Amino acid sequence: MKSKKPFDFLLFMTVLILLSLGLIMLFSASAPLAEKESGNIYYYINRQLIFAAIGMISMLLAANYDYHKIGRKTVWAMLIVSVVLLVLVLIPGIGSQANDSWRWIVIAGFRFQPSELAKLALILFLSFNLSRRRRPLETFFGDLMPYLFVLGVISVLLLLETHLSATIIMIAITMIILFVAGAKIRHFAVLTVPVLLTIVAVISFTDYMTPRINSWLDPWSDPRGSGYQTIQALYAIGSGGLFGRGLGQSMQKFLYVPEPHNDYIFPILAEELGFVGVLAVMLLFLIFIWRGIKIAVHAPDVYGCLIATGITALIAVQSLFNVAVVTNSVPPTGVSLPFFSSGGTALILFMTEAGILLNISRYSRYERI
Amino acid sequence: MAAPGMATKKRLIVLLSVFTISVFALIGRLAHIQFVQGYELQKKAFAQQNTGRVISPIRGTIYDRNGKKLAISVQAATISCNPNEIAMNKKLTVREVAEGLAQFLSMEEDEVYSIITKKVNSAIIKRKVDRDTEIQIRTWMSENSIRGINIDEDAKRYYPGGNLMSHILGFTGDDNQGLMGGIEEVMDKYLRGVPGKILSEVDARGSAVPSEREKRIDAQDGLNVVLTIDETIQYLVSKSLDKAIADNKVEGGAVGIVIDPNTGDVLAMVSKPDYDLNTPFAYPGNIELEGMDPEEWIERSRETVNILSKTVWRNKAVSDTYEPGSTFKSITASAGIEEGVVTADTITDDFPIKVAGWPKPINCWRVGRPHGTETFREAIYRSCNPAFVKVAQSLGIDRFYSYLRAFGTMDKTGIELKGEAKPQFQEKPKEIDMAVASFGQRFTITPLQLATAYTAVVNGGKLMKPRLVKELTDSEGNVVTRFEPEVVRTVISKQTSDIMKDILEGVVADPRGTGSNAYVRGYRVGGKTGTSETTREGVYIASFCGFAPANDPKVVVLVALFDPRGESHMGGVIAAPVVGKIIEDTLNYMQVERQYTEEDLKSLAEMVLVPDIKKKTVEEAVKELRAVGLKFDIEGEGNTDSIVMEQMPKPNAAVPEDSVVILYTYRPDEPKTVSMPDLSGKTLSEAIYAMNRIGLNIKVSGRGTVFRQQHGPGTMIEKGTVVEVEFRNLDNVE
Repeated sequence: MKSKKPFDFLLFMTVLILLSLGLIMLFSASAPLAEKESGNIYYYINRQLIFAAIGMISMLLAANYDYHKIGRKTVWAMLIVSVVLLVLVLIPGIGSQANDSWRWIVIAGFRFQPSELAKLALILFLSFNLSRRRRPLETFFGDLMPYLFVLGVISVLLLLETHLSATIIMIAITMIILFVAGAKIRHFAVLTVPVLLTIVAVISFTDYMTPRINSWLDPWSDPRGSGYQTIQALYAIGSGGLFGRGLGQSMQKFLYVPEPHNDYIFPILAEELGFVGVLAVMLLFLIFIWRGIKIAVHAPDVYGCLIATGITALIAVQSLFNVAVVTNSVPPTGVSLPFFSSGGTALILFMTEAGILLNISRYSRYERI
Repeated sequence: MAAPGMATKKRLIVLLSVFTISVFALIGRLAHIQFVQGYELQKKAFAQQNTGRVISPIRGTIYDRNGKKLAISVQAATISCNPNEIAMNKKLTVREVAEGLAQFLSMEEDEVYSIITKKVNSAIIKRKVDRDTEIQIRTWMSENSIRGINIDEDAKRYYPGGNLMSHILGFTGDDNQGLMGGIEEVMDKYLRGVPGKILSEVDARGSAVPSEREKRIDAQDGLNVVLTIDETIQYLVSKSLDKAIADNKVEGGAVGIVIDPNTGDVLAMVSKPDYDLNTPFAYPGNIELEGMDPEEWIERSRETVNILSKTVWRNKAVSDTYEPGSTFKSITASAGIEEGVVTADTITDDFPIKVAGWPKPINCWRVGRPHGTETFREAIYRSCNPAFVKVAQSLGIDRFYSYLRAFGTMDKTGIELKGEAKPQFQEKPKEIDMAVASFGQRFTITPLQLATAYTAVVNGGKLMKPRLVKELTDSEGNVVTRFEPEVVRTVISKQTSDIMKDILEGVVADPRGTGSNAYVRGYRVGGKTGTSETTREGVYIASFCGFAPANDPKVVVLVALFDPRGESHMGGVIAAPVVGKIIEDTLNYMQVERQYTEEDLKSLAEMVLVPDIKKKTVEEAVKELRAVGLKFDIEGEGNTDSIVMEQMPKPNAAVPEDSVVILYTYRPDEPKTVSMPDLSGKTLSEAIYAMNRIGLNIKVSGRGTVFRQQHGPGTMIEKGTVVEVEFRNLDNVE
């Protein structure tokens, strides 16, 4: 057995700082909405604090649970459970709907989001199976197809939820894991063809993307409709300036910015803490990514390397995607900001994933400075 | 298990690079939004977050020249709502709120409901709500702890004069903006002021953010406008016109204008029918509307507004043009004298004159009773058409019309009112056009344009721009802007003006004059009559344009009566006395000293005051009456020692000399009455004789023969009563 070391302290601190900042911002951003919805400004922060506590415990457990013990049975079980839940969530009566999407299953008053579990399940499943390979990823159909099939099943289920952003994230982390696992560059080229075709087909044959594309190109063409949330987010970010209005002083959170506690929490942060705050958060995420990649590089084995890659990729892709959406850098789609956005499943799972990352760091082949 | 190989590590480094580049790209994007676009976005966000409620400024007061308030703003409230907050009321449902508001504001419940459920942050429910209602609503709101209704101060316009200034001022609309082309509209930019704002930062649903962020930007009140109008003179003119309209069965309305010829200040401008500025949309009770039942009158409907704008809202003084008729001869005469083609003493005649382009010769109006050769002065006295045609012909078309233009009768005056009509002349006038224009026919101008031309005739030759606004003052009464009188141009010389004043005074004062009914004892009145035909058969416009005192005019007064249906339609008969009355009242009010002629003094001396002779013996009473030149008649038994129990007329009544005072030696249960005789057509002495003979007295107005008597023939009236009798010159007047 390899020797156990202390986990990556810098990553741990980064996660704690992101979580603390996330909780503070969530309280500030969600208070007006919470007051309006329930008359209790603490509604969202109270729930989030509970999830954060569970997440902390989960992170520490994961950090101390040898990731090598996550074996074939576990990864298959997680994948199958995820797929079953993703199917169940589509069944009216079991799944619950919000904003025309079926994304949650309500369990004991708490809404559970299967897609968050599916992300981890996919990372573990891919990492496990790729690390057990004896041959390199030589052929597209023979070697890559099984992984892409799993991705395909999950993607189709997510698209049925109309959860486009989750689908994109699944695709992204699968591609990144396959890339790091040594898939041929030309296979990616082959893969882009169906992906592009799908995107073109969705844009041309369905109305799902049309308003998003339009409002991305010119949010002011429909300021009260499809462009509304983008404009409000830009108002918030633009109002921030260098140092921001000050913590708690956002005006845009007063029900102008939709979902100020969730997908659009970052603009509120930009408004209250200004460019300085934004820069700090971006750098914290960059530190997370850097430590995550470093853990992957120094992982004792391919399994650990791929898990670290997947988890880092997940948090990196999701956070960068979120910021890109709220700054209108890409067409708008609902994606939450890790450690900041309200949502129990996501927070607990992100914390758990950070724990797994920390756990991998304990088996690093190099001495830490 | 094998550690990751070099290839894997390289790919991980590529991955890290891609993420790092992405992070910095996004940081760049954020910096761009916050620093480059920041200002614009912040401004827009601020505008969105600060959908404030407006504080209306207090609209300026409109004063007359002496500081009397003509239009004032009184406190009122604007009730608005925030539909989102209304929906959050716990005690009352939205329906109940609508029901309550509808009751207080006397509105339809459904209407209120649709307003308070609008998908906006702020909606106005009703404006100009009075103080009582406001208090009721406030109480109701606090009793039911209602949120989402805002009450903001506002002002309601009030016109103390009611109808008096209707056409000069116009009224204001819902937003307190001036309407109807009056001073309220023309001076709106000064009166209006600058609105203030209550800035409360609001969220997207429009409820106020809980903080002390509410900011108040006070409204800047409007400036006050001081008019040249004198409210008292306006009132005198209005009353005189009302009486003239009633006396002469005038059906088409009337105009009365008083201008100070030296400054162009319009002292009064009355157009009848008028309307109450406080209820401009109400059923006009002062006109006859065929097929319009007051019950069916729907305020502000397209139909009723249309009716109102054609009738009572119309300012006939500036918006209607008419043929000025003979009143215009002063202009022709002034031009002729100024150009030297005629003098006051030039011999002319009334022989019918033939003009090219017209089949019949042009006659004098009194063609049946020709006066033969006459001086030009006499021709003006008699208003003899052929004499003016000759003057115009001597001037020629170019010179004649250049004078018309110089007198301002071919252009708008530019007074501070909207809707001034343009004079209507032939584009290329021919000989015949000029010939009839010389006596005021076949072209039309507004009453104001004629009165303005008269300022130049009588003030020494300068055409004044008529004006209504004297100055603007601020809320402390300091003058902000003073408007000076404006001379448009010098039209004629002072000599010509003096000659014209002299001749026009003769028109009124000379027994041969057509304007003698405008005569006022003690005030030297000049002027010119006019009787205009219209395009409608049998419809005339009787007018008179006068001025006084003739040696130093203080006022030019124009009265025009449209479509009189009474005993006469002649300007000299029915319009001249109205001008005389207005001049007398106005100059009296302006404390212009009277200059009595000898004849005036003689007739004035005839008036005596009836002494108080009650409780005196008959002997003493008779002595007192004789002493002041009164006659007496004793009713009842008794001798010279009997006590006078009652007298008629009462003490201190002013009666002509030789009037009869009835002495009762008993306390009469019922006064003695006699039958009123028919005086029509009688001269002054005949009338006095007929009245005194049966114990009645007479109060004389006017000159000439009896035109109207206060009580109809056969009416039983108390002995000794002073009966008003109007005399008119009917013979020589046009």
